[in-house]
Amino acid sequence: MAVDIAPVPVAARPAPKPAAFRRTSPTATVLLLLGAAYCLLPVLWVLVASTKSASELFNTFTFMPSTHLFDNIAFLSSYRDGLYWRWMVNSAVFAGGGAAVSTLVSAMAGFALAKYTFRGKSLVFNLVLAGVLVPAVILAVPQYLLLAKVGMTNTYWAVLLPSFISPYGIYLCRIFAAATVPNEVLEAARMDGANDWRAFVRVALPMMRSGLVTVFLFQFVAIWNNYMLPFIMLGDDKLFPVTVGLSGLLNQGATQPAMYTSVVTGAFLSIIPLVVLFLTLQRYWRVDLGAGAVKA
Amino acid sequence: MKKTLASVFAAALILTTAACSSDDSDDTPAANPDEKVALTYWSWAPNMDKVVEGWNASHPNIQVTVNKQDGGDPAVAKLLTAIKAGSGAPDVMQAEYQKIPTLVAADAVADIAKEAGDLKAKFPESAWNAVTLGGEALYGVPQDSGPMMFFYRSDVFDKAGVQVPKTWDEYAAAARTIHQKNPKQYLGTFSSNDPGWFAGLSQQAGASWWGVQGESWTVAINDATTKKVADYWGGLVQEGVIDNKPMYTPEWNAALNDGTQVGWLGAVWGPGVLEGNAASTKGKWKTALLPNWDAAAPANGNWGGSATSVTSQSKHKAQAAEFVKWLNTDPAAVKALAGTANVYPAANDATSVALTQPPAFFSNQPDFYTIAAEAGKITKPFTYGPNVNVAYSSYNDAFGKAAEGKKAADFGAALDTIQQATVGDLKNAGFTVAG
Amino acid sequence: MKTKGAPYAFLAPALVLFAAFLAAPIVYAGYLSLRRVKVSGLGLGAGARTEVWAGLGNYARSLTDPEFVPSVLRVGAYGLIVVPVMLGLALVMALLLDAGRTRVGTFARTSIFLPYAVPAVIASLLWGFLYLPRVSPIVDVLDRVGITAPDALSSSWVLYAVANIAVWGGTGFNMIVLYTALRAIPTDLFEAARIDGASDIQIALRIKIPVIGPSLVMTFLFSLIATLQVFAEPMTLRPLSNTISTTWTPLMKVYRDAFVRNDIYSAAATSVIIAAATFVISYGFLKLVGSRAFSQEN
Repeated sequence: MAVDIAPVPVAARPAPKPAAFRRTSPTATVLLLLGAAYCLLPVLWVLVASTKSASELFNTFTFMPSTHLFDNIAFLSSYRDGLYWRWMVNSAVFAGGGAAVSTLVSAMAGFALAKYTFRGKSLVFNLVLAGVLVPAVILAVPQYLLLAKVGMTNTYWAVLLPSFISPYGIYLCRIFAAATVPNEVLEAARMDGANDWRAFVRVALPMMRSGLVTVFLFQFVAIWNNYMLPFIMLGDDKLFPVTVGLSGLLNQGATQPAMYTSVVTGAFLSIIPLVVLFLTLQRYWRVDLGAGAVKA
Repeated sequence: MKKTLASVFAAALILTTAACSSDDSDDTPAANPDEKVALTYWSWAPNMDKVVEGWNASHPNIQVTVNKQDGGDPAVAKLLTAIKAGSGAPDVMQAEYQKIPTLVAADAVADIAKEAGDLKAKFPESAWNAVTLGGEALYGVPQDSGPMMFFYRSDVFDKAGVQVPKTWDEYAAAARTIHQKNPKQYLGTFSSNDPGWFAGLSQQAGASWWGVQGESWTVAINDATTKKVADYWGGLVQEGVIDNKPMYTPEWNAALNDGTQVGWLGAVWGPGVLEGNAASTKGKWKTALLPNWDAAAPANGNWGGSATSVTSQSKHKAQAAEFVKWLNTDPAAVKALAGTANVYPAANDATSVALTQPPAFFSNQPDFYTIAAEAGKITKPFTYGPNVNVAYSSYNDAFGKAAEGKKAADFGAALDTIQQATVGDLKNAGFTVAG
Repeated sequence: MKTKGAPYAFLAPALVLFAAFLAAPIVYAGYLSLRRVKVSGLGLGAGARTEVWAGLGNYARSLTDPEFVPSVLRVGAYGLIVVPVMLGLALVMALLLDAGRTRVGTFARTSIFLPYAVPAVIASLLWGFLYLPRVSPIVDVLDRVGITAPDALSSSWVLYAVANIAVWGGTGFNMIVLYTALRAIPTDLFEAARIDGASDIQIALRIKIPVIGPSLVMTFLFSLIATLQVFAEPMTLRPLSNTISTTWTPLMKVYRDAFVRNDIYSAAATSVIIAAATFVISYGFLKLVGSRAFSQEN
């Protein structure tokens, strides 16, 4: 399981250029390829497995691809009137909406913590840090009981609202605002007659933007991968995200067969959007915990 | 870069609003109760929504929405959490028989004896006992039942020259023969992951793990009868002629497919599981009654089976009870339960109304439902207690260890562990426990 | 900036959300941990069940549960495997990438990062297939060359099997963190050493690793926290084997008590114990390494 960690974009050296003026090292290449193979193996397995029909999945050699990928996708798409795609949309809603709002909330809070002196500042900051350490599993039950008291369980909001607050996000944004928004620039904006909100929106946000994208991506992945919160909050499977939906196909209880083919195909399809997101926004994955920490 | 950020935000927000608004329109409750009632029904049976369409078409004022659940355990967990929270429960709930005492103790299901009227004659006695707990109240209407049945690969049996076992001794002998002829093959597996399966086997032997004695509960999970069953299986596992891996895993699937698991002590709903897991073996399976401890007095146990209950949070108890009654007694509904939702309806007349053809996977066995009916008839009584979940999760752990260790003595000891955990939990909660 | 109300206005949404979805649930969990349900008689019927104060009874039961200490020790052992292996691999890969002596850098970096995109529940399902002897291609291949692979989910291997999933999922992320830190080192710091004839390995050991020390400390801390919270992987693998019990890790016990046994009071007590332990360990670690990472002042 991946860890959420504070990202601090840094002015990096350009990516290393091999070969032109330095020897390439076969050892380095082999080691890196071994690492890549280890990480790709299960992904490759799911790709191959999703091309197999139900009986081939358990009968033929594991890495022998078959031709049933489109049949499997068609079957999965037809399962209960395309419920799987609704799960994918739900995941996108939870992860996209939750990450967008939480990034904004975190940016505002991080900005305040970095750029203002006010009473209670250290209390707030310590609370945020304490929040970082609390496991989600522990929160889920009381969150459910409290949301049920206001009748909000089994709605999109039951998953979205708790995703809006991210102590990590606030912590990162604070480091980030401190590192990238100079006080002089804010003062200048103020001289020009901008109020605090305008200074934040017009001056600070643009300066923090690449860090904010990183925070957004973190939250997006964290929410997309989340299982516990939606599992507890939602009773109607039309509202499920893809993680909860797929695990339901697997655990149908004793009287129903597990839908392995659909689960495997669904797992494969569900990885694709995140892979695309990663590849297109790869340049934002620049995370330096230490730099922020040392500078702070 | 600014554009990227802006468009990410914009897309996310549009998705959010679109999805949330569409959801709001779904869930708006009817403003005027005289007009229309909307009920929700939590069920994990496949295609239950299609079964319910029949009701919705003829009852425009009581519209039922099915929320498909992951299965009996998660559904009950969610229901109990919702009951504790005071809101969030559905109106109608599919509940496995063994969960009913738990649900009653948590005040999660309503007594619908008055609303449902007299239905006793329509259901087998064991199912009726399970939904009344032997009293006057009615905590649900029996929906489906799961008399246990023995499934076996007739081709493998023929080849090995093995007869269908009538007794457990014969079953053990058959297991030895099959495993000796082909060391990769097993007649079955002992599953530490399926307490309901082991409870059914114990029920057949005559055990009843809980009981009521006046105003107190009794617990008899480690009594001599259940010990006999555990020792029997422990012996076979230690001997190595029965596999020790859990059922319902990819590995078990592969074993059913490639013919290394050649028998399965399942229940009447088994054909669906076999078809889903090992479609390629169609036509090679046959079914029979479970082997017996005493061939002269055939008996059986239950695995699975559930009732349809009205929850205590429903604001439309009368309408919900009417729906529950329809679902499980109306001939058309019973037919749909059997044909569309693929369950074995509990109603007595199900065999004549709906189950005239064998399941597709057993088209080679025309008397499938005759055997099932016989299996149901000889099912022994069994009482569940208010903390089945504690006993069952303890079963997972205790028998997990025993099965992994493959020592016969550990199987009996596992029962002591479960007994201890179950009694301890009851006492700790304040239940009166006899003995 | 001077406006008095401004910082509070900026903080308001975060504080409201924090109070509603973090503080309130924690306080509520604390309250629940001191309560219990008292049943009378057979416990059937509406009035038979009342919620009463339990004092510290739930805590006592959690701590004296015979499965509790083994599960804590198990997580300790798990952490001893996962954290060093994951960070070691991440560091080696990051250094190899940073040294720039290969043409496969981009491919390797992307591939190793990829598992981060796979939810733990799905990752465990995939690895489950790769572990089970009868469906595993690894066992299959080894079998063909005459090696009998051990059953990954047997009692002597299961800890490593679970740890492997965590290592697989987390190495790429930590690698990216460390790689980013390495890229931030000014070239002149080690160009001189290189001209003096220092090898890549010497440069890495003597210059690069010390410089990215703070990053290593932080990745260590966050990996440690994630380790203490191990839940999804064993939870998904549990039904596949005999060797993972329902209380295999402390958080699994919380889940079992809350959702299988319907005893949210015990679950709350165990939660509070875990949360307290997490705090103590995290702060203890930070004190130990003297990191100012979490300090507030600019």
